[in-house]
Order: sequence, then structure tokens, then C-alpha cells
Amino acid sequence: MTTDKTSPQSDTHSGTHGAVIEDTAPETDAPLVELRGAGKAYGNIRALHGVDLRVHPGEVTCVLGDNGAGKSTLIKIISGLHQHTEGDFLVDGAPVRFSTPREALDKGIATVYQDLAVVPLMPVWRNFFLGSEMTKGPWPVRRLDIERMKKTADEELRNMGIVLDDLEQPIGTLSGGQRQCVAIARAVYFGARVLILDEPTAALGVKQSGVVLKYIAAARDRGLGVIFITHNPHHAYMVGDHFSVLRLGTMELSAERSRITLDELTNHMAGGAELAALKHELSQVSGVDVEELPEEEDLTAPVVATGEGAS
Amino acid sequence: MGMTQQAAPAVPAPPAPGRKETDGRTRQQPLPLRLLARPEIGVFLGAVAVYIFFLVAAPPVREGSAMANILYQSSTIGIMALPVALLMIGGEFDLSSGVAVVTSALTASMLAYQLTLNVWMGVIVALLVSLAVGFFNGWMVVRTGLPSFLVTLGTFLILQGANLAVTKLVTGNVATDDISSMDGFDQARKVFASSFEVGGVAVKITIVYWLVFAALATWVLLRTKYGNWIFAVGGNKESARAVGVPVTFTKISLFMLVGFGAWFVGMHQLFSFNTVQSGEGVGQELIYISAAVIGGCLLTGGYGSAIGPVFGAFMFGMVQQGIVYANWNPDWFKAFLGVMLLGAVLINLWVQRTATRR
Amino acid sequence: MDSSSRYRSRRMAPLVAVVAAAAMTLAGCSSSSGGKKAEESNAGASAGKATTPRMTVALVTHQSQGDTFWDIVRKGAEAAAAKDNIKLIYSADPNAGNQAGLVQNAIDQKVDGIAITLAKPDALKDVVKKAKNANIPVVGLNSGVSEWQKLGLMEFFGQDETVAGEALGKRLNAAGAKNAICVIQEQGNIGLTQRCDGVDKTFNGKLQTLNVNGTDMPSVKSTITAKLSQDKSIDYVVALGAPFALTAAQAASDSGSKAKVATFDLNKDLTTAIDKGTIQFAVDQQPYLQGYLAVDSLWLYKYNGNYSGGGEQPVLTGPAFVDKSNVDRVAAFAAKGTR
Repeated sequence: MTTDKTSPQSDTHSGTHGAVIEDTAPETDAPLVELRGAGKAYGNIRALHGVDLRVHPGEVTCVLGDNGAGKSTLIKIISGLHQHTEGDFLVDGAPVRFSTPREALDKGIATVYQDLAVVPLMPVWRNFFLGSEMTKGPWPVRRLDIERMKKTADEELRNMGIVLDDLEQPIGTLSGGQRQCVAIARAVYFGARVLILDEPTAALGVKQSGVVLKYIAAARDRGLGVIFITHNPHHAYMVGDHFSVLRLGTMELSAERSRITLDELTNHMAGGAELAALKHELSQVSGVDVEELPEEEDLTAPVVATGEGAS
Repeated sequence: MGMTQQAAPAVPAPPAPGRKETDGRTRQQPLPLRLLARPEIGVFLGAVAVYIFFLVAAPPVREGSAMANILYQSSTIGIMALPVALLMIGGEFDLSSGVAVVTSALTASMLAYQLTLNVWMGVIVALLVSLAVGFFNGWMVVRTGLPSFLVTLGTFLILQGANLAVTKLVTGNVATDDISSMDGFDQARKVFASSFEVGGVAVKITIVYWLVFAALATWVLLRTKYGNWIFAVGGNKESARAVGVPVTFTKISLFMLVGFGAWFVGMHQLFSFNTVQSGEGVGQELIYISAAVIGGCLLTGGYGSAIGPVFGAFMFGMVQQGIVYANWNPDWFKAFLGVMLLGAVLINLWVQRTATRR
Repeated sequence: MDSSSRYRSRRMAPLVAVVAAAAMTLAGCSSSSGGKKAEESNAGASAGKATTPRMTVALVTHQSQGDTFWDIVRKGAEAAAAKDNIKLIYSADPNAGNQAGLVQNAIDQKVDGIAITLAKPDALKDVVKKAKNANIPVVGLNSGVSEWQKLGLMEFFGQDETVAGEALGKRLNAAGAKNAICVIQEQGNIGLTQRCDGVDKTFNGKLQTLNVNGTDMPSVKSTITAKLSQDKSIDYVVALGAPFALTAAQAASDSGSKAKVATFDLNKDLTTAIDKGTIQFAVDQQPYLQGYLAVDSLWLYKYNGNYSGGGEQPVLTGPAFVDKSNVDRVAAFAAKGTR
């Protein structure tokens, strides 16, 4: 795995794109994807309720939440695996209802899943083109254009700063970070406008996570709208432009980067109001240090924060 | 913006890659080791070992006619082992494949005989029935999400019962009537069950079909979209679905491919033996699956080849007939078979281990 | 002899596909030779029907699924049941323990008579006793010619597999065979092993056994071919079932061997093959007769107090040889699947 230090191309590229597309979110643009009061019920169980979310091009929207908060349901709705049962789901301002992931893909919405991003035993290049293979020749003998696929995969991966010796090796032999990067590069290559990343850093070490975050930034710089699902507020705050926190299926917080600090985000993530209540309980127990825990009033309203400098 | 292949990627063309960069995580394996990593190499060496063994132990094996006989036996296993292997690479099992062969043969035979039709009509209807059985298996597996092991176990029992019951109902016996005097029989026999001379040795046509099908399956598996999909649905169904692979189509069509194989072998049996016993075929499914597994296909799916099962089937045929050619005590037949197969599998395993050791 | 259910099924089968048939026949796809039409002239024999009150008889065998031989036994039993106004309950399981369970089941149903095969007599000892305690008459058929009296069965119809084997062995001697193979299609099956052992007992030449995979015909053919080319002095192949005999004949001609084929049991295609001379002869223990007599004897016992064989001697149904000299007489019945 290379980092930007060993890969001059990736530096020049993100540089170029950074100049072309403004890093700040174009406020006037219509959102690529928008959820308005959307929700999903599985029978009697309401997994998601009243969620508002907007994804703009060139912006990273972070969705944070604990396990079971409804993050995966949210992804499944946007990526077309499930349908929402309440509210509206709009793509380019028009309401949609996807019945298969294919339809979402056709709208330019690509999802990179945490643990099922790739088929482990298949070679890297086959994974890269899976589902959208390049072919040549007329029908009965239409076959894969292997040479072109390998060449393209190699180029695209290098563009993202990923250099592999052998594209024939099963993708399962790559590190977790590398696999995520291949999947991101793949989505970018296939014209994704919205990239959904499901916990891309969850199973990774510090260095690997850094690499993945770098590609999230690279994708954003190319003008993609990114939905970054995570439960790590530090990772989110490094690349995010907008933060939404889910709790028990509803939206607990939705704030622009300029209106929230990392500490506030961390507190919200860590349990926010519930944690404050827990603090009172714990303070009754001797030997538990509750001094450092936030009070409830710290969390009530997002305070105007220091802006861009926190990362 | 569609996700289909596009001429212009979403980013401007990159500068041509310069010097060869390496990431230090992997290194080029020496050629012999890379060859050993192929799924079919282990079984190839196993098959060669078994062949040489019997060449020494059983002098009659050295004759051309004996080889033709061994290959014939291998081909009737091998033709079915191919689709079974593809299905296994696609992550599914078909326990009904053994009796499905007999179902197909019974259908063709009884339809043609009872209605006094040209046998080709029976052949065509049998094909439809076989494909329908495959479709049913695939559809049930995809729709219910149940393990294919259970679904096809059900089909296996249904077909086993139906083979017997329908045959009794229609013919009044447990075997079908002789159709060898009917119109179209000779023609169909030429297609499915003839033999030709090579250097004075009668070679069965199934051997040719076997090798042609194997070549075709290899090409499809490695060189076409569909082949890519087979690996993907077997390797990781969910991610394959997520990137837009038609999982349902791929799985159902694989089951139907097994149906096609069953039809072909069923027709061979019908036209070489004129009648079909309704109780046959039970247990054959395990032999097909074994040939695929010995041939390097992963039981859990996502890995394997079409060439491997060819050697797997050959090994079965070779061992089965080699024991007879060597004139060993027949009471020990099954034990010998087991020992030989286990030995072959161990060679296979050893090769795989050696290849993947870094 | 046709039972009513068989009659019905014969009519129903064409009905199912009659539309398709009409379409395909009109389309010119029909066969001008062979097929059902050629067979049509064959009408079933019919017998009178007894006016005695309805009784129930259970026939419990050790049949494994789809075996031609047992199919004929069952047809015989059904014919007797139809004639005697008997409700026949047929059940079978090759596993002796399960077979005993089926007998128990029949006792629980309070049947008027039980006919059983004694493939593994010890396993059935207890249930036979129970049946006697319940005052249900029990007769034996097919296997168990030496044990039936010990178990207290009333009568016995059949012939031991060993005896049939011995008869075939003598016949091989008469034919001048020197080196024969006995082809076992299901390794470990007691009945099949007994047949080969019987042959071995009386045959003066050398007898080798050959195990084949009976559920896979191409494999059976390959294996016999392999054996015949391995030992070129083999002059007789003894098959233990009609379908395997036909395959053995193919294998013999394919491998250019001079070996001739003899077999146990009959079927329609086999009589044709005997007629043509591709198969020399068959030993028949007349399974139809076994099924028929076993059921009929229970009726005779109930309504007339008769004992076949006087309750002391078994009633032997074989061995009967079928060869070129008498095949004509047998062929018509074999065609109906009753001999």
C-alpha cells in the first residue's frame, strides 16, 4: 500500500481537482440525493423514522450512530436494497423508489459496504469490473476484454494512489484498507455521483484508516457526493462537511461543520443526553470518576464553533 | 449516468504509468509455484499418479480398448460433473442430479412409447422437463433462501418417488418398454450413443462430448461475463448483488444447466440401453459432486475450474475400472475405491498447501 | 388377472397427455413402428371374483425400491387379492428392523392375515410371535425356506436363492462352461450373494464375482467390459437381474468376448433376448406365483381351512428355466410384466 509520499500521481491529481472544484459546498446547488421525513418499518418494527438528509456534490455527509441506530437501514434505502415506507426519497429533485441496487447504480448511486465490498477469492481486476464487465466480439463469442480491463483497472487504481504488483491476486489477500480503496476507485470509475461508504474504517488500524480517509477526500474533490457512515466522530470530523447523528431510528442531530465542534460531535455520539443522565447515576457510586463527563446543558444546542480548523 | 462500461471514465485520463512500482506486500511467485496454485493442478497430478499406478499394476490398461472403456466410464460421470461443478462454483448444490438423469430418460422413453411418437418428440419433451426441474430447484433456492442442500434433497426424494410411481402408473412395470424399433431411434442413437473407430479401437461419442463441453465450460467460466458472475455469486452473493450482478438469473440458470446435463446423460443411457430402470441414478449425485470437489472446486463456492472436474471424473473412472483390470479381490472393491480417492485428495491438498505457502 | 386399479391406471395415463398426443400426431411426429400401438393387442386375462366377505391381508417384504422382481411378486399378490375379494396392504423395507415395524403396523391394523418374506428371520421372530398371539395367520414367501417352520409360520411359498443358484450352476456345467463371473449389482445384498454362492456350490469351473454399481448402467457396462478384457478366458457371465443381463450381453459383444450370458429373473426384454439368442437362459423362481399363492392361501385358510403343503412342506415355485425351447410360451406373460 502506498501513501501519498510514494505516489506522486495521486498528489497531482487531488491537487488539480481541488483547484477545479471548490472545496466548500456550493449552497445553491440542488442536492443529488435528498430524504425528507423518510422512514422504514419492518412489519410492526419501525427501524427508521422522520429522517432528513441532503447530499450535495463535492461534499461529505457523515452519518453517525451507534449499533442499531438505523444506519444500515438508511443505506439500504438509498442504495436500493430496501424501500422506504414513509416520507420522500428524491434524486436530483425527483421522487424515486428503487426496487433493486441496479436502479440506484443507474442513477449514479454506488455503495461500498464494510465487509462485503468485494468477492474475496476473485482477482483484483475481476472485482474491479464485476457487474460491469468490458466485453468484445459479437454475441455467441462475446467475451471479456481481459487486457483492456486489466489495463484500465491498473490505471484507475494508480490514479487513486493504489499500486498493486499483481492484479491477478485474489482481492482477499489485500489488506482491509486496500480493499476499501479498490472498491472506492471502482465506484468512482463507473461514474458514481453519490458514494455511500458503510463503515469503511471500522475494521481498520490507524494508518489504514488514514489511507481510506484520504480517498474519501479524493472522491469528494472529484465532485462526488459522499455519504460516510461511521461511528467514529474523529474520522467523521476529519473529512465531513455535514454531520447527522442517528439514534434509535430517528435523527438526533443535523449540523453543518461550521456549527459544531468535534467535542460536541463526540458527546452526541457517545450517548449525549442519555450519558448525562447516566453520569448522575454513576456519581452515586463511589470510585467512579464522573468529572470529565459532559453535563446535559452542554449538549442542548449546537454552538457556533471554530470552523475548519478542528481537524 | 449509467453504470455500464463507458468509454470515458469519470476522471480525466491519467498520465501513463511510469516505472513499475511495487507495494512490497506481494512478490511474484516462481512459475512452478504459480502453476501449482491453479485449482486443477492438484487433481491433474493425482490423476496422473493413479494412471501410472494402474499402468504398472494392471497390464490390460495399457491396451487402447481398455483406455477407451475407462474414458467412456469417465465421460458419463464427467458430463454431469461439469454443470455440477459450475453450480458448486456458483455456491450451490444439487442433490437431485443423479435421479434427474433417470427422470429425463424415463420421460423421453415413456412419452414416445405410450403415444407412439417419433422418439425425437420424447427427446425434446425430456429436455423441457429437465430444464423445468432445474428451474424449479433454482427458483426455490433463490426465492426461499433455504440452503440448496435442503431444497434439492426434497427434489431428489420427489423425483426418486415420481420416477418409480409414474413409471408404474404408465407402463405397469418398474422399467420402461424397449423403444429401439421406433422411428428416430437409430438417428438419436447416432447422436447420443454411437461410437467410432480410432486406430482399430471403438471410441464412444460421449468422450468427445465430454471434452467439448469441458472446453466450452472453461471458456465460459474464464472468458465471459456469465463466468465472472458464477464466481461472484458463489464467492460473495451479497456483494455480487450490490454491484449489479443478476444473482437470481445466474443461480437459476446454473441449476438449469445441471438439468441440461441430466438430460444429455439421460438420453445417452436411454439410447444405449433401449430401456430405463426407474430405480436407477440414486447415489450418482454424490459421485458427480465428488468429481467436482476432487477437481478442485471449493465446496463453499467461489473457487474452482471446469478442467479440474474432467480429471476428477477420469480419476473415478480410472480407479473404478483399474481395480477390475488389476483383478483385485472384488469384495474389497469399495475399500480400494475409497483408499484411492482419499489418496488422490491428499495429493491435491498437499499441492494446494505447497502452492499457497509463502 | 388385471386388478381394477391397474386397469384404471392404464386408461388414465394416455388421458393425461391426450391433447398433446393429438397435436403431435397431427404434426406428423408419430412413430410408424414399435411403441404402444404395437403392444395394444395384448389384453389382460380376467378371472372370476369370489363372493366371500371382504378380508384384509398385509404383504410385507424386504423389497428395495424399483426392483422388477418384487414388482412381479406384488402383481401376483394383487391378482389374488382382486379375485378373492381381499383388501391388500403392501409395504416393504429392505432394512429388517423396519420390516419388523411394518409387520407390527399390520398387527395393529388387525388384518386377517399376514404374508412376509424372511430375509433376516431373527429380526422377525418377535413380531411373528405377536401376530400368532393376536390370532393372525402368518405365511412366508420367497426367502426363509429353511427357517419358516422354526418361526412357526403356517405355510411357505418360494424357493431359496441358494437353491436357484445351485440349479443355475448345474446348468452351466451342462453348457460346458469353464470360467464364469457372477455380476453383483448391489454389493452386500444377501439375496444376491446367496445366488452367487449357490452357483459356486454346484459349478465345476471357476467362478469369480464382480461387483458393479447397479444404479449407473454405463458404469455396469464399463465394468463388465473391463472384466472381460482383463480375463479373456471367461466364457459365461451370470447376471443376477434381467436388466443387468441385457447390459452384460452388450458389454460382451462390445469387448469382442466369446462369453455367453445367463441370468436370474425375467422381464419382457429378456425373453426377446433369449429368443434372439443373445442371452442363453434364465432361472426363474416365478415371483408372481409366490405373491399369488401367499395371498390366496390366506383366503383358503380362512374360508376353507386349507393348508398348502399340508403345513409341513414348503411349496416350491422354482427353479424354472426359460431358454430358447420354451421362451415362446413365457414371452407373452413376461410382456405383461407378470412373469
